[in-house]
Amino acid sequence: MMQYPQITIPPRSEHLWRYTPWKRVHPTKVEEMPKADPIKFSHGEESEMHDSEEIARAFIHSVSPICRKITLSDETVEVDLRCSGHICAGEMSIESKGHSNLVIRISGDAGWAGLRVTGSVSGTLSIAYINDLASDAHFLKCEDWEILRDSTLEFATLSAGGFLNKSDIRFDLIEKGSEIRTGIASNGYGSRHDDHHLEIKHSVGHTDSSLVMHATCNDSSHSVGTGLLTITEGADGSDAGQVFRNLLLSEKSRAEAIPELEVLADDVKAAHGAASAPIDVNQIHYLASRGLSNEEASALIVEGFLMDAFREIKSETVVSALRTRLLVHLECLMNG
Amino acid sequence: MLSIENLHVSVEDTEIIKGLSLKINLGEVHAIMGRNGSGKSTLASVVMGHPDYEVTSGTIMFKGQPLEELEVYERARAGMFLSFQYPSSIPGVQVGTFLRKSVAAVRGEDAPSAREFRKELKAHMEALEMDKSFLSRYVNDGFSGGEKKRLEILQMLLLNPTLALLDETDSGLDIDALRVVSDGINSITPTAGCLLITHYQRLLDHVKPDFVHVMIDGKIVKTGGPELAAELESKGYDWLEE
Repeated sequence: MMQYPQITIPPRSEHLWRYTPWKRVHPTKVEEMPKADPIKFSHGEESEMHDSEEIARAFIHSVSPICRKITLSDETVEVDLRCSGHICAGEMSIESKGHSNLVIRISGDAGWAGLRVTGSVSGTLSIAYINDLASDAHFLKCEDWEILRDSTLEFATLSAGGFLNKSDIRFDLIEKGSEIRTGIASNGYGSRHDDHHLEIKHSVGHTDSSLVMHATCNDSSHSVGTGLLTITEGADGSDAGQVFRNLLLSEKSRAEAIPELEVLADDVKAAHGAASAPIDVNQIHYLASRGLSNEEASALIVEGFLMDAFREIKSETVVSALRTRLLVHLECLMNG
Repeated sequence: MLSIENLHVSVEDTEIIKGLSLKINLGEVHAIMGRNGSGKSTLASVVMGHPDYEVTSGTIMFKGQPLEELEVYERARAGMFLSFQYPSSIPGVQVGTFLRKSVAAVRGEDAPSAREFRKELKAHMEALEMDKSFLSRYVNDGFSGGEKKRLEILQMLLLNPTLALLDETDSGLDIDALRVVSDGINSITPTAGCLLITHYQRLLDHVKPDFVHVMIDGKIVKTGGPELAAELESKGYDWLEE
């Protein structure tokens, strides 16, 4: 297997690297493999992870000094990932059986943080990721998930921290009856650049997927949402939907929302959509008529828009954790 | 309390209201009836301050103050309430959160404590026959027509306005829901002025108006008592246009 230095730097023409090229993601110079401090995991056993030929995964694997394994079985677990130092990295594998909730909070003042995750779901797993990194951090996250027979993964992310974020998340529905429900909420402010690439692959038929990404874009922030939905040949009876919505709050902010479909089976349902718009004046008027100032009304609409990304997530534990953190984050922003 | 003098209102250079005058005092119930497009909803929207409508001439005074000096949220805090014909949905915002924020904003220092608020809310929801699961749903998101109207009336009861503008609150309601909503309206009218905008007599069977006004082509062309509504029900509007 090729290791990081042998892997060709991907061109910007690739869907995955169009808006945040590898050169911008790498913490130093692309040919270098700098020394990284370990991410501090509050949970997990020591473990090892296989290498990868995908450049970002290979890079994190090469520089990461730590790998942790988290095994869940009918439980709710909160995991803190503390990132500190100039450059830090870590790998984490997750295995879940039964009905579990996992709340992962990523925080710290690292200049650059890299996290690679692999996961396997048997049963139902609901995950809340909360990116709460310092506002000048660069963050790279790569994930690969397999969902087994009659199993469900609820995957929710609140992306509120960091200055430059790139996440590349891939889900594979590998057995019949498997389902993935994904909700991503990204809050853009200042010059924050937040790039989420999500691939969902229906490898077999009678599998369901839904992806909702909501991004609010204020100041001169830049949000990117790219999705690749693949329904493989013979995966009949698959049902898939992707929707990307951006709420534009300033003239200088930018948002890209690009869902792509690759459907190779005949008997499937596959839908996708993308929309970018400012706040609806009728919503503002409605809230103002209930006594909220324009500023208060806008803040409530933004909060609701972000929470609405999680409408498909059934786990109250996960939704409650996300709501609590979002409210704290928005209040901190409002108070400077 | 509300005094409108020779009001003219336009939307994108099209004049909708063409010289309307109306006075509503505390404790009075006024009903405005008229065909679609006669300007009834425009009147409610412009009094509440919707940005799409431009007052080209005339005056609107509320509690002795020119309304043009007040932002929309200031009108609400001054005691004005509009029950919308088509209330906006606010996805992601739970009804309970929204009501708490709204009550705190409008009632200010007089806002109830968290415990008192819950007690008040429970009493009003029971009176309106609303299930408590309403509170965790998103504001008007996926609501039926009747559910939206009940939520509007619940807000009115919690905000306890001195002037309530009710824009076709009876539309989308079945007979039982109409009775429940009417009871809610009747509970505030002793201490508030009320303007009912409606197409039908049926709401006025439950909420007795002191005055009925007929609006045609942006003007009030006739004013009478409750008997005028019954006359309109049987004769239509043609005789008023002649």
